[in-house]
Amino acid sequence: MHIRKYDLNFGRRELLKGIACGAGTGILMPIEKVMAKDMPLTNAYPDELYSIEAQTKGKISVGDYITKANVEHAKHILDPSMYDQIKNAGRRIKIKAPTTDLRQLFNHAYYEAMQRNIAEGRTGKFNADGNVVDPQGNPWGGGVPFISPKTGVEVWANMAMSWGRADANTYAIKQWDFGADGKLEYQYDFQWVELQMQARTDRKVFRGYDKELRRQTVYFTNSADVRGTSFLSNWSVDQRQIPDLYGYLPEFRRVRQFPANQRFEPLIPGATWFLTDPWAAGDPFLTWGNHKIVERKPMLIACSGNFSGTDDNWQPKEQEGNPIFWESEYEMAPDIIVTSCEPVAFPRSPVSKKLVYVDARNSVPCGCVRYDRQGKLWANFEMAFGQFVGGGKDGKRVVMSADGKTPAWSWTYVMIYDHQNKRMSRTHHAKKGVGTESLFQIDEDWLFETYCTQQALQSLGRA
Amino acid sequence: MENLRFKIARWIVSHRAQVACVFLIITIGFAIGVPRVDIRTIFADLLPSDDPFVQTFKDHPNFGNPLTITVMVKRSDGGNIYNEDTLKKVWDLTRNIDLIEGVDHDRIVSITTEKANYAEATPMGVEMQPLMGDRIPKGKQELDALQRNVERSPMARTYLVSSDETSTLIRAGFHEHLLDYGHVFDEIQKLAKDAEDGGHTIHVVGQPVLTGWVYLLQEQTYTIFAVTVGLLIIALAFYMRNFAGVVTPVVCSFVAAIWGFGLVGWLKSPIEPLLMVVPLLLVARSFSHCVQYTERYYEVFSELKDRKLASEATLAVMMAPSVFGIITDMVAIMCIGVAPIPAMQRFALFCGFWAFFLIPTGVMLIAVMLSYLPTPKNIDDIIGGDREKGVHGFQKRVLEGVASLITGKRIPKITATIVCIVSIVVIILSRQVEIGNPTEGSNLLWDNSEFNVGVRDVNDHFPGVNSLEIILEAKDPDNVQQRAARTEEAYALTKEILRVALSQEHPAKAARSFSDFMEEGSRLYSGGHPAWLSLDPTDRSVNAAGVAVAFGQNPLNFADVTDFQFQHSAISLFYRDNKQETIERALIAAQAAVDAVGTDHKGITVRMASGTIALQHAMNSVVKRYEWILLGLACLAIFFIASYMYRSFVASLVLLVPVVLANFYLTATMSVLGIGLDINSVMVAVLGVGVGIDYGIYLLSRICEEYHAQGEDWDRAITEALTTTGKAIMFTASIMLIGIMPWYFLSDLKFMADMGLLLSAIMLINMVLALLVLPLIVSVLKPKFVTRTDLMVGEGIDLSWFSEEKTREKEQGVSA
Repeated sequence: MHIRKYDLNFGRRELLKGIACGAGTGILMPIEKVMAKDMPLTNAYPDELYSIEAQTKGKISVGDYITKANVEHAKHILDPSMYDQIKNAGRRIKIKAPTTDLRQLFNHAYYEAMQRNIAEGRTGKFNADGNVVDPQGNPWGGGVPFISPKTGVEVWANMAMSWGRADANTYAIKQWDFGADGKLEYQYDFQWVELQMQARTDRKVFRGYDKELRRQTVYFTNSADVRGTSFLSNWSVDQRQIPDLYGYLPEFRRVRQFPANQRFEPLIPGATWFLTDPWAAGDPFLTWGNHKIVERKPMLIACSGNFSGTDDNWQPKEQEGNPIFWESEYEMAPDIIVTSCEPVAFPRSPVSKKLVYVDARNSVPCGCVRYDRQGKLWANFEMAFGQFVGGGKDGKRVVMSADGKTPAWSWTYVMIYDHQNKRMSRTHHAKKGVGTESLFQIDEDWLFETYCTQQALQSLGRA
Repeated sequence: MENLRFKIARWIVSHRAQVACVFLIITIGFAIGVPRVDIRTIFADLLPSDDPFVQTFKDHPNFGNPLTITVMVKRSDGGNIYNEDTLKKVWDLTRNIDLIEGVDHDRIVSITTEKANYAEATPMGVEMQPLMGDRIPKGKQELDALQRNVERSPMARTYLVSSDETSTLIRAGFHEHLLDYGHVFDEIQKLAKDAEDGGHTIHVVGQPVLTGWVYLLQEQTYTIFAVTVGLLIIALAFYMRNFAGVVTPVVCSFVAAIWGFGLVGWLKSPIEPLLMVVPLLLVARSFSHCVQYTERYYEVFSELKDRKLASEATLAVMMAPSVFGIITDMVAIMCIGVAPIPAMQRFALFCGFWAFFLIPTGVMLIAVMLSYLPTPKNIDDIIGGDREKGVHGFQKRVLEGVASLITGKRIPKITATIVCIVSIVVIILSRQVEIGNPTEGSNLLWDNSEFNVGVRDVNDHFPGVNSLEIILEAKDPDNVQQRAARTEEAYALTKEILRVALSQEHPAKAARSFSDFMEEGSRLYSGGHPAWLSLDPTDRSVNAAGVAVAFGQNPLNFADVTDFQFQHSAISLFYRDNKQETIERALIAAQAAVDAVGTDHKGITVRMASGTIALQHAMNSVVKRYEWILLGLACLAIFFIASYMYRSFVASLVLLVPVVLANFYLTATMSVLGIGLDINSVMVAVLGVGVGIDYGIYLLSRICEEYHAQGEDWDRAITEALTTTGKAIMFTASIMLIGIMPWYFLSDLKFMADMGLLLSAIMLINMVLALLVLPLIVSVLKPKFVTRTDLMVGEGIDLSWFSEEKTREKEQGVSA
C-alpha cells in the first residue's frame, strides 16, 4: 500500500504560499540543490503535483487522450488556448508519464554551466538600467541567471537572455500555414540561426561584440517564390533597445531596414506569429513592462518526449482527421509559473498582454498566449521541447549535442493557433529541409560568417 | 341546396365548437414556432443568384471590402489635418476602433498605424519607417516631417490622405464570424459623435455601417408596423362601429399571422425585414376579406335574423369567391419566388403560405366567430337601403357617380374611348421608366441620410466607393509554390486591361490593382526613383516585387486587391455613382479591356466582374429579365383559375385587362415621379395583380348575381354591384392605403418608404381600374357568362331556403 506523505492539495497550497512570500523554485527542496547534486526532481516536488490522476480526480490517466469529451476534467491544468483548441477546434493530446530527471530538461552544456554557477554562488542581478549582470556588475555570462526565479521580471530575463539554451543554434524549420477552412495556404522551409554574442556558457564575448546580446537570422529556401530571402536581427545587450531588423531580397540586391517597432506584423505572409512571439520573448524583456507572476500551479505541458514519435526527418505525426495539429504528448509539470507582461514600449500595440506558462524547473516557456486589447484570447505560441532521444527504426535513435557525447535537447515543434482568425501556423524542428539543415555541432565562426552579417545575407541570396 | 359548399358550411357551423378547438390547437402549434423566427438581412441573398456577376462576387467576396468600415476625419474649418488636435482624433479613433468586438486587429490602418509607412534609400539600403512615430507629432517641425513622410508614400497620399489634405481615412476590417453589426454600429457611431466638433466632421461608411443603419431603422419598422395596424383597427372601427365587425377581422388576421410566422419559425427560414411591408399588406388583405365577408353576413342576417343560420348561409355563399380571391393573392405572391433572388424566394414561401392561411381563417374561422359574436345594432347603417348615411352614404354617392359614367347607351362608349386614349398614353409613358434606382451611396437609405451624405463626402476626397472589379482568377489557387497574382502573366494582363479600360471615352475616376503595390515595392527596393516603377516582364522580377511588398506584412493588408494567398487578384475601377448610365459606360470599358486580352490564359482566367457597379447591373438585369416573366406567370395562373371559376375564358380576360393596365399605370406613375424600375417595384406590380384580380372577382361575381336579381338589366346590375360590393372594395382599398401609406411618411428606410409608396399606388390604381374599367368592359361587351346561373362564384342565394329550414327546426323542437 502506497502511503501518501502529503495530502492531496499540499503542493498547490505551497505554490500559492510561495507566490505570496516570493519563494523560489522547489517545494520540498530548492531546485538549485537538486541541480547541484543531480538529484531526482521528486525531491523537490511532492508526488501529487506529478500525478495527472490526482489532478483530475482519477478521470484521466497516463496514456489517455484528452479530447473534447473529457477536457473539462483537465481545464484547470491547461492554458486557455489549449483548452479552447481541444474543446472547439478538434485537437487532442496524449498524456505521458512525467519527467523527473532535471537533466532531461536541459541542453547538457547549459546544464553544466548552471551547475558551475551554483557551485560558485554566481547568480544574476539587475543593474540600474534593469539589465542582467553578474555579481560583479559585468554583463551576464551564461546559464539561466535566476535558477529559482522569484519575480516576474526574473522569469522574463531567464527566457530572453538565451533562447535556445546554447551559444549557437541553427535549426532547419518547416512551416505550414493553414486557413480557417483547414486548407494549406503557405509552406516554407527556412534556416533559423541564433548566435549568442554574450550570455554564453563560456562567459566570453563573441568576437568582441560587447554591445550585442545575440544575432539571429532567418533564411528562406522554400517556397520557390521566397527562395534566398533573409532577415537579420541584431539584439543589443541593453534590453531596453528594440533590435535592428534587416531584410534582403535577392532580386533587388538590397538590404532593407524594417521599422524597428513593427513587432506585431507577421514576418512572412500567411504566418500567424509576429516578431514578438518566438520563444515567448521575441522582444527584449525590458521593452515590455508590468512583469508579474500571476499564478503557480501544476499544469500539463509538452516539455519532453515528443521526439520519439517523429519520422526520420524529425517530423511529428499529423493528428488523425485534423492535420492542422501535430499529435502531441503532454505531461504533468509540478510547478508552472504563469507570468504576464504588457507592451509598454509599444504604444500602438494591438496586444494588451502576454500570459506565458513557464516551467519553473528550467525557465522554459511552453505556451505564450497573446491577448488583444479587448482582453480576448488571440493566439498561442505553443512550444514542445525534449531530448532528441527515441524513435527511429529500432526505437533507440539518439541525436548528439554539441559535445558529441550527450543527447541533444531542443524544441521539437511549435504551433501557433490564431483563435480569432481560426488559422494555424504549424512548424517543426527538421533534420533537413529544402536547402536547410539542423546542426548541433556548430562552428560558430562559420555560422557567423555564413548567416549573421548583412554581407552574409547578400551571399545567401546569391547562392 | 345540397351542393358541397353548403354541406361544408352546414358541417362547420353545426360543429362550430369543435372547429374552434381545432383552430386553437393549430394556432398554439404554430405559435410555438414563432420565437424561432429569424428576422435578419442577408445582403448576399438580395442579389440574383444566377447572375454571372453575382456568382463572381460570391466566388471572390473579399474584393470590394464587404467587411470594412471607413471613417473619414475631415477638417471643416478650412485647415489641414497636420495639426495635433486632428492627429490626436485620428490616433484615438484608430486605437478605440481596435477595442470594438469583432475587429480584425490585423486590418486597422490609418496614418497613425505602423502599417502606413514610407521608404527612403540610405547608404545601407532601403529604410522603411512608419509615417508617424510612437506618438502624435508635436510642434511645427514634427508636423512638417509627417507631412513630408506622407508625400513620400504614394499609397498613403492616395488612399489615406486626401489631395487637399483636409481629410484622412481610418479603415478597419472585421471578422465575419465575430461581427455583430448592431454592436459595431453603436460603438463606431459613438466614437464618431464623440470625436466630432466645430472644426471636424466625421463620416462613417462601409457595408457593416450600412447594415447597422438598416438594423437600427428596422427597429423603427416595428413601431410603424404597430402604428399602421392601430390605424387599420381605428379605420375598421370607424367603418363598422360594432364589436363583431372589429373583433372578427382582428382575430382572424392575428391567427393567420401566427400561422405564417410560426411556419417559417418551424422551417427556420430567415425572413428579410426589408420586405416586412408585404406582411402588412397581408394583414390589410385579411382585413379586406373579413370586411367583405362580414358585410355580406350582415346582409344575410338582416334577412334571416338568426346568427347561426346567417353564418352558415354566408359561409356557403362566400366560400367560393373568398377562396378564389385569396388563391389569386397567393398565386401572385408565389410567382415572386420565380425570381432567382434567395431573399425573395424565401419571402414568397413565407407570404404565400400566410396568404394561403387566410382561407381557413378568413373563411371558416370567421364563420364560427360571427355565429358566436353578438349581433350589431347598426346593421342597417352598414348594409344600406334608404337609411344609409355617413361614410357609407358618401361612398354610395361616389359610386353612383361612377356608375353613371358606365351605364346608359352612349355614355359607356364615350367613357371607354377616353379610357383607351388615356391608357395608350400611359402605356407609352410607362416605357420611358428608367431601369435601376441609383443613389450615390445606398439605395436602401434616403439621399440625405447620414450614410449617403458620408459616402458622397468620402467620394469627393478619395477614390470612389463604387467600384467595378475585374477579377484575375488563378487556375491553380492551391499551388503554394506559385502565386498567380505575383506572376508576369498577372502583371501584363493588369497593365493591358488598365490601359484599354482607361483609354475609353468615359474612363474611371481612379484605378487600383496589386500591380500598383508591386511597382511601388520595386521602386522602393531599387532606390526610390520613379523610373523603377515599371517591372521587367519576367516571372522572377514580378514575383520579387510581390515578395518585396508582402514580406513583413500581413496579406490582409492587400485584401482589396488580392486574396490571402496572392492567387486571385482584382483590378478595381472606381466611379462616383452607380447610375444606369455610369454602369453602362463602366461595363463597356471593362468589357473592351477584357476582350482585348481575352479571358483564358495559362494560369489565369479573366472574369467579369464584381464590385458595386457589377452588382447594381445584376439587379438591373434581373428586372429586365423577370419583369414580364413574373407578371406573365401571375396573369397566366390567374387566367386559368378565373376561367375555371367562371367557366369562361372571356371572364378571365375581363378580369385581367384592368390588372394588366394597372401595371402600366404604376410604371407610368414611377416614370413621372422619377422612380426607377427595380426588383422591388416588379414585386409590387406582381402583388398588385393578386390584389387587383381580387377586387375584380368580387365585383364581377356581384354583377353576375345582380344581373338576375335586377331582372336582367345590365345597367341596374352594374349600378347595384358598384354601390354594394364596390363600396366594400372602396373601403378595403382605403383601409389598405391607411395601412401602407404611412410607411412612406414614417420610414427612414428609403427602401421601405418606396415599397409603401408603390404599394399604395398600386392599391389605388387597382381600385380605380376595378371600379371603372371592369364594369365598363362588362357594360360595353355584355359578355354571355354573366347571364349564366351556374357560376361557382355567384354570390346569389335563395335565402328562403334557410328561412324554411329555420321554421322546420322550430316546429321539430315544439313537437319534441
